[in-house]
Amino acid sequence: MTARARIHPGELAIALGLVVLGSFVIYETQNIAETQGYAQIGPRLFPYLIGVGLTLCGAVLGWEALSGGWRHVPLDEAHEAPDWMAFGVISAGVILHMVVIGWAGFIIASTLLFVLIARGFGSRKPVRDAIIAVVLAVVVFFLFTKGLGLNLPKGPFEGVF
Amino acid sequence: MDTFNALLTGFAVALSLQNLMWGFLGVTLGTAVGVLPGVGPALTIALLLPATAKLDPTGALIMFAGIYYGAMFGGSTTSILLNTPGESATIVTAMEGNLMAKRGRAGPALATSAIGSFVAGTLATILLTVMAPVIVDLALKFGPAEYFAVMVLAFTTVSAVLGASAARGLASLFFGLMIGLIGLDSQTGQARFALGIPELLDGIDVVVVAVGLFAVGETLYIATYFNRESDKLEKMKGSIWMSRDDWRRSWKPWLRGTALGFPFGTIPAGGAEIPTFLSYAIEKKLTKRPEDFGKGAIEGVAGPEAANNASATGTLVPLLTLGLPTTATAAIILAAFQQWGLQPGPLLFETQPALIWGLIASMYIGNVILLILNLPLVGIWVKLLEIPRPLLYAGILIFATLGAYGLRNSWFDLALLYGVGLIGFLMRRYDIPVAPVLVGMILGPLAEQQFRRALAISQGDLMIFLKQPISATVLAITALVIIGPPIWRRIAARRAPRAQAPKG
Repeated sequence: MTARARIHPGELAIALGLVVLGSFVIYETQNIAETQGYAQIGPRLFPYLIGVGLTLCGAVLGWEALSGGWRHVPLDEAHEAPDWMAFGVISAGVILHMVVIGWAGFIIASTLLFVLIARGFGSRKPVRDAIIAVVLAVVVFFLFTKGLGLNLPKGPFEGVF
Repeated sequence: MDTFNALLTGFAVALSLQNLMWGFLGVTLGTAVGVLPGVGPALTIALLLPATAKLDPTGALIMFAGIYYGAMFGGSTTSILLNTPGESATIVTAMEGNLMAKRGRAGPALATSAIGSFVAGTLATILLTVMAPVIVDLALKFGPAEYFAVMVLAFTTVSAVLGASAARGLASLFFGLMIGLIGLDSQTGQARFALGIPELLDGIDVVVVAVGLFAVGETLYIATYFNRESDKLEKMKGSIWMSRDDWRRSWKPWLRGTALGFPFGTIPAGGAEIPTFLSYAIEKKLTKRPEDFGKGAIEGVAGPEAANNASATGTLVPLLTLGLPTTATAAIILAAFQQWGLQPGPLLFETQPALIWGLIASMYIGNVILLILNLPLVGIWVKLLEIPRPLLYAGILIFATLGAYGLRNSWFDLALLYGVGLIGFLMRRYDIPVAPVLVGMILGPLAEQQFRRALAISQGDLMIFLKQPISATVLAITALVIIGPPIWRRIAARRAPRAQAPKG
C-alpha cells in the first residue's frame, strides 16, 4: 500500500466538478414551483436528494484525491502518454460536422467527419478514406431517407435527388 | 402446464416468417457488433431505437434481444483471435483463448466457446421460461412501495457494490439520475432543469446519452491512449472441430459456467464480468491439468463463455418480470419498451402475452441460429477483424452522429452528443463505470414515480416502506449489501496479519 506521492489534478478537478454540479442542482431545485395538491411529495424532493448525492460523492472523491489518490484505480501505462493531437483532430471532426450539417447536408458533413476521424486514428491515406467516406455516406443517406423514411438535410444536392 | 401452453403460443408468434426474419437479423447484427471492438450491443440497440419506433414492437424486441445475446457469442471470436476483448464480458476469454490460438488451437477454442454459449444460452432460456411466471406471481402483489424498494436495491448493487469504488459508482449513478430529472415532471408537468432551453423540455434522449458515452467517448479514449500498439490477428489454422479430449474437458465447465452466470444475471447485480471471472477462478482450481493454465487451457475458455451467455439471458428475468434493468444494455431495452408505451412487468405478461412469450420463444430459435453462425460460418466474421482501426471508428462515428441528429434534425443534439462524449472520455480515463449512468437515467424517473405514489397512498408516512413486509425485506437486503462488504473486509484484514504472525 504505497500511496501515490503527488496529487492528481484530474481527479481533484472531477471531484470539484461533481460538488459544483450537485450544488447547482440544489440551487436550481428552488426554482421548481412546488405545487400544493393531492400528492404528498412534490417535484422538489428527488432533485434535492440527487443534488445532495452528487455533492457528497464529489466531497468523498475530493478527499480521496487529496489523501493519496482515488482508491483502486488500475494502473495503465498507456495513460502516461496521451496523444492529444488525435483527441484534437477527432474533436474537430465532430464539431465541424455539427456546424456544417445544417447547410452542407448529411453527405458532405459525414464525409468530412469520416476523413478527420480516420486521420485522428493515424490514417495516412486521405484519398482512400475520402472515397470510402463518400460511398458510405451516400449509401447510408439513401438507406435512411428512402428506406426508413428519415428526413436528412441534402445541402447543395437539394433538388438533384 | 400454463407455462407450457404460453410458451407454445410464443413459438407460434416467434416462428412467423416476419419474426423469424427479425430474429435472424438481430442475432446476425449481434454477432457482428460482438466481433467488432468498439461497438457493443448497448450502442447498437440505442442507434436502432429511432429507426424502429414505427415497427411492430414484437419483431423489434425480438431483434434487440438477439443483438444482446448474439454479441456474447461474437465477442469471444475477437477475444480469441485478437487478444482484445470484443465485449467487456469476454475479457477472461481473451486470456486462455488467445493463448490457445497462439499455439495453433484457435479452432477448438472458437468451437468450445460457441457450443458452450449455445448450451448456456439454451439452458438459461429454459430457466427464464420456468422462473418468469413464478416471479410474476410474486410481483403481482407488489405495490408502489415494493417497486421502489427493489429499484433502490438495483441502484445500490449496480453502482455501489460491484466495481472498484463505491464513490465512483455512486457518482456515476447520481449523474444518470440527474439527467433523468431534466424535462417535464411526469406527475405535475412542471419543467425541471430545462434552464429555459426549449430543447431540454422533452428531456435528454437516451440515444444521445448512450451513443455519446459508448461511441464518442470510447472513440476519443481509444484514439488518445491506445492507438500506438497494433493488434496481431491470430490465423485460424487446422480444424475447427474439437477432439474427444476437448469435449471431455469442456462439458463440465459449460454447466458450471451456466450455473454461475444465470443467477448473477437475475439478481440485480449487473454485468457479466464477475461471473466470468469467478468461473475462470473455479475452473483453474478444479482442473486436472493446472499446468495448462497460462498456456491455453480449454477449461478457461469453456467456463467463462458459458457464464457470460447465461448471465445475459439471466438479466432478462428482472427486466421482463419487474421492469428492472441491471446492465447498460438492459436499460436501453427498457427504453425500447417505453417508446411503444409498454412497461415491462407482471402486467405485461397479462396484457401482451403474445409479445412476451414470443420474445422468450425467439431466444430458443436464436441460440440455434447463433450456433450455426458462429461455428461453420466463423470465417466470415473473422474478415470483420481485418477492417483497419481508423476506418472502423470513422464508420462508427458516422452512425453515431446520424443517430443523434436524426432524432429531430437539430444541431443541439449533436452538441449534447459531443458534451456527453467528453464526459464519457473522462469516465473511461478515470475508471468511473458507465452503466450506472444509463440505469439511473432510465430507472430514476420510474423510481420517483413509485416513491411519490407510495407516499400518496400512505398520506406522506415514510414508514410505509418499512411496514410492508416485502419492501422492508428488500430494503434490509439493500442495507446488508452496503454494510456487508466493508465489515467483511475489515474482518479479513484483521485475520490476515494474525495468519502471517508466526512467520514474522
